Parts: sequence; structure tokens; C-alpha cells
Amino acid sequence: MVRNRLRLVLGALLLAVFVPAGSAQAHPHVWIAASSELIYAPDGSITGVRHAWSFDEMFSTYALQGIETKTKGIYSREELGPLAQTNVESLKEFDFFTFAKADGKKTKLLEPVDYFLEYKDAVLTLHFTLPLKTPAKPKELALEVFDPAFFIDFKFEGAEPVKLVGAPAACQMQFLRPGDGAASAQKLGESNFLNGDNSNYGAMFANKITVQCP
Amino acid sequence: MAKCAAALALVLMFDAVLGQLSAQNPFGAPRPSGSEPHVGGVVGWLLAKQSEFYREMSSTIRAAKSDGSAVWTLLAISFAYGIFHAAGPGHGKAVISSYLVANQETARRGIILSFASALMQSLVAVLIVGVGAWLLNATAKTMCGAERAVEIASYALIAAFGARLVWTKGGAFIAALQAAPSAPALVLAAHHHDHGSARDHHGQANHVHDEHCGHSHGPDPIQLAGPGGWGRGLSAIFAVGIRPCSGAILVLVFALAQGLFWAGIAATFLMGLGTAITVATIAVIAVSAKDLAQRFSAGREGGGALIMRGVEFAAAGLVLLFGAGLLFGYIAAERVTCL
Repeated sequence: MVRNRLRLVLGALLLAVFVPAGSAQAHPHVWIAASSELIYAPDGSITGVRHAWSFDEMFSTYALQGIETKTKGIYSREELGPLAQTNVESLKEFDFFTFAKADGKKTKLLEPVDYFLEYKDAVLTLHFTLPLKTPAKPKELALEVFDPAFFIDFKFEGAEPVKLVGAPAACQMQFLRPGDGAASAQKLGESNFLNGDNSNYGAMFANKITVQCP
Repeated sequence: MAKCAAALALVLMFDAVLGQLSAQNPFGAPRPSGSEPHVGGVVGWLLAKQSEFYREMSSTIRAAKSDGSAVWTLLAISFAYGIFHAAGPGHGKAVISSYLVANQETARRGIILSFASALMQSLVAVLIVGVGAWLLNATAKTMCGAERAVEIASYALIAAFGARLVWTKGGAFIAALQAAPSAPALVLAAHHHDHGSARDHHGQANHVHDEHCGHSHGPDPIQLAGPGGWGRGLSAIFAVGIRPCSGAILVLVFALAQGLFWAGIAATFLMGLGTAITVATIAVIAVSAKDLAQRFSAGREGGGALIMRGVEFAAAGLVLLFGAGLLFGYIAAERVTCL
């Protein structure tokens, strides 16, 4: 009797210490309103992904801290050049939060080209293009945009946040936001809070783009 | 009496916040079918809530520029954000709870530790932004770099602190094992002491010589049962409190840019207060659970003390594991992400 109760209490004790540790999942501090374009070459192969990421007002202000400008509050593309450089360099560590698969195989993306920042209505937007290492014509291209650590929350907003540019007419694009159904198949409940590896926790917040070309 | 009043106030506060929240659409966003991810139950709800509060902060600070009364809204949001936010990783819940269990601390000291470390987190955030952004006009890159350095220092300190706890608690556990020789299987587990912490062990009352679990003239459990001493408590506060919350830093920089740095500072401390309440609640649960375990095990012959020393030792090991895990990135906590 006493033994059982003791076991119960020890269990409760473990829970009290573990639950806060395990259920303590990351949560975003930066919100990005994203839109993306998939760029196709005239021969119908995909060559790259062009992103436009608008940071939330708070992060935009934070990022602009300490940047000198000629006119207060107005930031030209040139004045923002060094910051854009820092951004793309830092993003490299996170694979630009963009993960591509061609016909189920991981596809390597090169470092960004044509990157710049623009500042408008208190919002900073980072534009950059990630070229595919080798342009390809996969039957199915899958692209995911998310932060595995979920420090950043990516939201694709607006009527048409993902566009195909120059794609063959027969190609069909499907876009799934997190929570649209497909993503919830891999949802994490509180049940797996003891699973130490939550490094890919953010995967359930992935935005999934799929393009099928016959 | 004061305790009761405080507890009642806490309950009322929670109730008020929850009531206000449940009155709203649980997923706030106007989009159909909820673009908010479907994360399980309580955790998902906490995530959604604190995101909402956080995002309201920037608009409220902006509003406060022209309308002074918006500052009160800002403070209320910050407080609520702190409560919800601290349910997430970091903020030392796990470390403080484990430390309290390992070190036979009282619930009262647990509350004090929680509030002190949250206060320190707020102070560090204000200091980083005050010196970095306001005084030196440093760029975000520089400040974020500083934040990262502080984060690594915090994790290293937690690991070192855990190693020291493991060292002392390992001694007590071994002593208890020898008092109860009927549990040979556990002797192997006791081998876990950390040599790296040897420097900590000089000048300590609980001096342990441990040659392959042979001789151990560690202190008897009663000696260790006393309060851990403020020295150890202060190291806990320091190890946990030195790491500021990234959210607070963003709010402070934003407030500074709006010319309302003082409002940002006030918001940061209210956030800290909310954080402290959540951390303290969890700390009190951990301590109460341990007290209960102690009461039940006290009725057992000999083995009771062994179990309790084992629990303390395990909790000490957890602090070390948390520190090491965070330091080497095995625990994907809220890492500072510099863009």
C-alpha cells in the first residue's frame, strides 16, 4: 500500500520535473510573411526559388537598429546592403529555411543571388533567389519552407503567395499551409514530450509546396 | 495568512486571464480552418496565446506614443505574455525545479529563487539593450552576438552547477547506499560522479573521498538536509538568470526606436514578473511532490533515506544533463537565431 503510493508520488515528481522540460517547445519570436516564386527555364526545368520575406514590425525595427542613414527613417537599398549581406550569410546556417526534394530526392540549393532588402511602411522585406544546383525536370517537386527550431514563424499570406514563373502549362501546383490537413498527420502531441529529439519540432509548421509536371 | 492571500491572488489572476482568453476565438486569426498549426492541447493553446500577446505588444507600444493610457495595456499584455511565455523552454523552470529537488529546498525558497532569476533575466535584457543599443548604438548583429555569447555562458554555468550538485549528491547517495547494503544493483549507478567538478569540492563541508565506491566519509543525510546555503542558491539564480529572453530584447529595441524606452523597460519587468509566477508555480509543484515522497518513504525501514538520496542524486544529474544538453545543442531549446 505504502509502496504503491510511494511509487505514485515518485511518478508525480518525475512528471513535475520532466513535463516542463519536455513540453517546453520552442515558440516563434520572429514572424515572416512570405511569398515565393518558382522560376522555370524556357526548356521547362526549374532553376530556382525566389523568396520575398517580410519581417514583422518588431523584428524589422530590431534589425535596423544601429544602421546609419542619410535621412532618418528612410533606408535606401544601398544603405541596407550590408544588412542584406549579413542576412543571407546568417541564413546559410539554417539552409535558408528552404528544403527541396525532386522526385523524393533531396535537391541542393546554391547560395542566394540577387539579394536585397527594402523598407516600406515600417516593414523590412528580404528578397533573394536560391538557384537549384542543377536545374531539373522532376515529375514531382516538393518544397518546404519552415524553421525546424520554430524561432521563426513563416506564414504565406495573400491570395497567391506561391507562384510558378514560366512553368510548362501542364504543371500543377499545390500549396499546403501548416494545419491544412496534410501537415497534421505528423503532428506532435504532448504524448511524445519525453522524446529528447525535438530538433525537428518545427516540421509541423512547414509550408508545403508541391509541383507536379507530367 | 499572507501565504493564503498570495495563493488566492494568484488563482484570481489566472482566472481573470483565462476568462478573458476563452472569451476570444481560441485561434484569434481570422483565416478559415485556422492557419494556426494543430499542436496538441495545452501546449498548442499556450503557443497560440503567447504569440497573440507578443504581436499585440508592438502595436500597443506604437499606440502609447500618442496615447499614454496604452502603456497600461502594454503592461497588462507584458504580464500575461510573461506567464504564458514561461511555459515554453528556457526561463530555468527545469533547472530550478531539479535544483530544488536535489538540494532539499523549501517551497518558499523555490519561490524566491524563481523571482530572483526572473528579475535578473529582465535586468540583463535591459542592460544589453541599454548599453548596446542606447549607449553604443550597436547594430542588431552585434547585440545578437552578445546575446549568443551570454546564452552559451548560461548553459555552461548550468552544466558546471549541475556537475557540482552531482558531486555532492553523489556522495550523499553513496553514503545512503552503505547505510542500506541491501541494494547492490544501485552501486553501479552511483558511479556517475563527475571528476570535472573536483575544483568545486574543496572547502565544502561534504567532503567525499570515493575510491571505486569504497571509502566514503561523506556527510550523513541529515547534515545535507539543511538549507543549501545562499551561496548555492545565488549560483542557481546567476546560471539561470544571466540568459535574457529574446522576446524582451526585441521589445526593448522596438520601444527604444519609438522613443519609449522607459515603457519597454517597464514591460520587460512585468514580463519577468509573469515569468516568475509560472516558474515559481512549477517549482512549488516539484518541491511539494518531493515532500510527499519524503513523507511516504519515511515510514519505510532504511530504504526510505536511500530512495530520497537517490531522487536527489537523479535530480542533480538532470541539472547537469540539461546544462550539457543545452550547451551541445542536444536539447533544441529556444536558441538565439541571429539573422
